[in-house]
Amino acid sequence: MLFPTLSFGLFFLIVFIVVWAASGSNEWRKILLLVASWAFYGAWDWRFVALLIGSALLNWGAAAAIWHQDEAARGRRKAIMILGVAGNLLVLGYFKYYGFFAEQLGDLLRIAGFARDLPLMQVVLPVGISFFTFQGMSYLADVRAGRLAPARLLDVTLLMSFFPHLVAGPIVRGSDLLPQFQETPRLTRDMASMGLLLIVWGLFKKAVVASELSTGLVDPVFFDPAAHSRLDLVAAAYGYAVQIYCDFSAYSDMAIGIAALLGYRFPLNFNQPYRATSLQDFWRRWHISLSSWLRDYLYIGALGGNRRGFARQCVNLLVTMLLGGMWHGAKWTFLIWGGLHGGVLMVERIWERVRPLWMPRLPKLLAIVITFHVVVVGWIFFRAESFDAAIAYLGGIGANNVASDVLTPLACALILFGMAIHFTPPQLGQRLALKLRVLPAPAFALLAGAVILIIDAMRFEGVAPFIYYQF
Amino acid sequence: MSHHMLSPLDLDEPELEGSGLGWTFGTILIATLFLLFANAVSLRDWIDDLPPSPAQAQAAEIADQWVGITEAMGIAVPRDVMHAQWKRAEEARFHGSGAKEEAADGPAVSTI
Repeated sequence: MLFPTLSFGLFFLIVFIVVWAASGSNEWRKILLLVASWAFYGAWDWRFVALLIGSALLNWGAAAAIWHQDEAARGRRKAIMILGVAGNLLVLGYFKYYGFFAEQLGDLLRIAGFARDLPLMQVVLPVGISFFTFQGMSYLADVRAGRLAPARLLDVTLLMSFFPHLVAGPIVRGSDLLPQFQETPRLTRDMASMGLLLIVWGLFKKAVVASELSTGLVDPVFFDPAAHSRLDLVAAAYGYAVQIYCDFSAYSDMAIGIAALLGYRFPLNFNQPYRATSLQDFWRRWHISLSSWLRDYLYIGALGGNRRGFARQCVNLLVTMLLGGMWHGAKWTFLIWGGLHGGVLMVERIWERVRPLWMPRLPKLLAIVITFHVVVVGWIFFRAESFDAAIAYLGGIGANNVASDVLTPLACALILFGMAIHFTPPQLGQRLALKLRVLPAPAFALLAGAVILIIDAMRFEGVAPFIYYQF
Repeated sequence: MSHHMLSPLDLDEPELEGSGLGWTFGTILIATLFLLFANAVSLRDWIDDLPPSPAQAQAAEIADQWVGITEAMGIAVPRDVMHAQWKRAEEARFHGSGAKEEAADGPAVSTI
């Protein structure tokens, strides 16, 4: 069930009415939300609802076990947390990485002269597994560190299953959402107006910009780079940068909006990432819930951040970004993408240290342009089917003289639009919501209906799944 | 490790007093009704894509009739016009290459 479909619209309408009607009891409200979330997830594959429940049980049990240890038994608390995290990683590893590592091991054995047929299985990847396992692990780390008290089974299960963020984030931490589950939420006009605005804006970015760029430009060019001109290759690389932003940020916007209409507050996940002046700045603006998760729990929590000297800090950065790349999937291209980001982040840190004081910083505009192009090169690896395909793509930009005309005026306009929205005033949506919240319901409804009608007239036939569903 | 959650839902001004539930419900309901009239074709397309069954066939027939009614009343015109314009924009090509093909079998396409 995809957000920008009528099926989801009807599902949400029923959930909205039933859940608010049951708000006299917060417990019943949460139970209904849980059932709705399982129905939402079960629409992909009912078998994986059991996985979701099992994962919640694991984290609830491990957190309770950590909490019941004496304060003095630090070693035991840590050991339980490690076991819990290992359990989460085992689930993630089996579904997401088993095939990849078995294949690599097979190749290594072949090179070493031990030709073995390793048991390769076709493991179906449960949608959103990377998101809910990361949520579970951060919950355990927070309980172990005393930042969060362990929650009841119902709350932990709802935290991990709550349908707005379930399949593609944002990664909402227990410390952010569990306290909100304690009381029946209140729906204010502020939340509703901003929520509805985010839903409609997300719908536009996904159904119009991302879908049109994907089908009209990016997919054909990445499918066969050799058959396309240099101009098409460059345009498709820019197009993919806009597509992935409009696709992923659209999901986040809609998730935040849907949760808001149910009375819950989700974190900001994107903040005009292509106006970043450095890669460090980029990661403060792109997929913020993942980058802050990696920073807090992996880079600082597990690896020690900058506490063990500068050289170790650089290594930690690289390791964090490599693992961040692997989080996206078991492919060498993701690892290279993470390595590229980690490498450039390292270079930025080193440059900050060795830059002579007399040397001025880069002008802001130039810094934005350079950062954007580093990100675009990274996206080519991210989007390409293989390392060789990415290299061929980059080679084609330098050498291709094939004539082709995939690039259309509409694609150009959408790319420019996708870039232009990064340079609008940062609080534009909030300012608009402040104006909308004072409108009478019929006026707001007609306005929203008219905009949805325009979007529907522009949208590409059918809706492709969100890019981040595969992660 | 300090973590403070920022959310796009945080508006700069004080909250409006009173519950927003009725207002939100009214907004969603009226917007839905508006789309039911102005965008009947989407409802029909969605029903057409559902797994075939007697109920689906009956719903598809009703949806078809409903589309006919909205077309006869002229309510469907804005969507149709916008959709046609968008299709033209999709078909437009640089250098007129696409336009030549278009000219042979359809209305003129603006080129850049």
